[in-house]
Amino acid sequence: MDQLTLFLLFLKASFLSTGGTGNLPILYTDLIARGWATERPFAEALTIGQITPGPTGLWVISFGYLIDGVPGALMASVAIAIPPLSVLLIAVLYQRYGDHPAMSGFIRGLSLAVVGIFAVVLVDILRGNGLDAGALLIAAAALGLALTNRIPVIAIIGLAAIAGVIIYR
Amino acid sequence: MTTEALTPSPSAPSLLSLLRVWFGIGLQSFGGGAVTRYLIWQASVERHGWLTDAEFTDYWAIAQIAPGINLLALTVLIGWRVARAGGVAVCLLGLLLPSVAITIALTVIYAQVRGLAGVQSALRGIIPATVGISALLLWRLAAPLYADSRREGRASLILSGVGVGAAIVLSIYQPIPIFVTLILAGMVGALTHWLWARGARRG
Repeated sequence: MDQLTLFLLFLKASFLSTGGTGNLPILYTDLIARGWATERPFAEALTIGQITPGPTGLWVISFGYLIDGVPGALMASVAIAIPPLSVLLIAVLYQRYGDHPAMSGFIRGLSLAVVGIFAVVLVDILRGNGLDAGALLIAAAALGLALTNRIPVIAIIGLAAIAGVIIYR
Repeated sequence: MTTEALTPSPSAPSLLSLLRVWFGIGLQSFGGGAVTRYLIWQASVERHGWLTDAEFTDYWAIAQIAPGINLLALTVLIGWRVARAGGVAVCLLGLLLPSVAITIALTVIYAQVRGLAGVQSALRGIIPATVGISALLLWRLAAPLYADSRREGRASLILSGVGVGAAIVLSIYQPIPIFVTLILAGMVGALTHWLWARGARRG
């Protein structure tokens, strides 16, 4: 694994995403194709990212640590801090062309594609973990609990851990 | 938004006090993006008056079309407004330092125990739950797009559906790299929106 390339892949994924988890599909396909990561660290990092403070999107720092230790975590941190700087340029463009339909259209098309690719990645992670009745049940229950908006994510993850220990012991 | 909106406010705070404010936001923002956004609003509009409520709304709209994490883009805009480049650096650092440190610490702890048999079976339960929770995240990403399309009528709904479907097929078979798919999708979106708007003006 070449670290400069890894950093550039982190950076590219962040530049091509809007929002914290938008970089997931791009990074996922890039690193799986190169054989630099399996589904497992992605799933682990997403879980850790859900229980840590701060903006959603810091999962990638956890992911960086899991595949490359402290250098990986630091590279990921720098890579997510750079693309948002371009907002200063965008603010200027927005004043001049903000109402141009091509601008909103571009973001709309990009977001739709991210939705499609994201769905594929989620199914892939589920399959990599071993797709059985227990897994489907836990996924559905977690979605149901999250939908209520009353139960903190960390409690849902705790319940799932208990379910995992009971089912897969 | 006017040009003055990006010029520094008259009573610029010192970089050290800026760092303290944003470090506090980073430290308190357990519970995800909405909480962090509220804390940023509270600090920069209500408590310190760096910008007005309307400006904050403007900034948030711009932050949403910037690449990467929207909350970081919002932080960059406010940091620039308050104290230019130094403000950007200090605000980003303050916001990220606590949360990045906690994220790394948790991951280090996890990496120590992940080999244990009990952790492995717990994880087999946790991963599907993470997928379930992420499915909700996916829906939050898709919902505003769906609402826009529905407002625009059936043609827009069909086109959006085709777009998502095409992205699914392209990401499964990957005849072209994913980032090419994303950029193509953006260009198709830009073109159709533009043509649509021209048609609407003429029609």
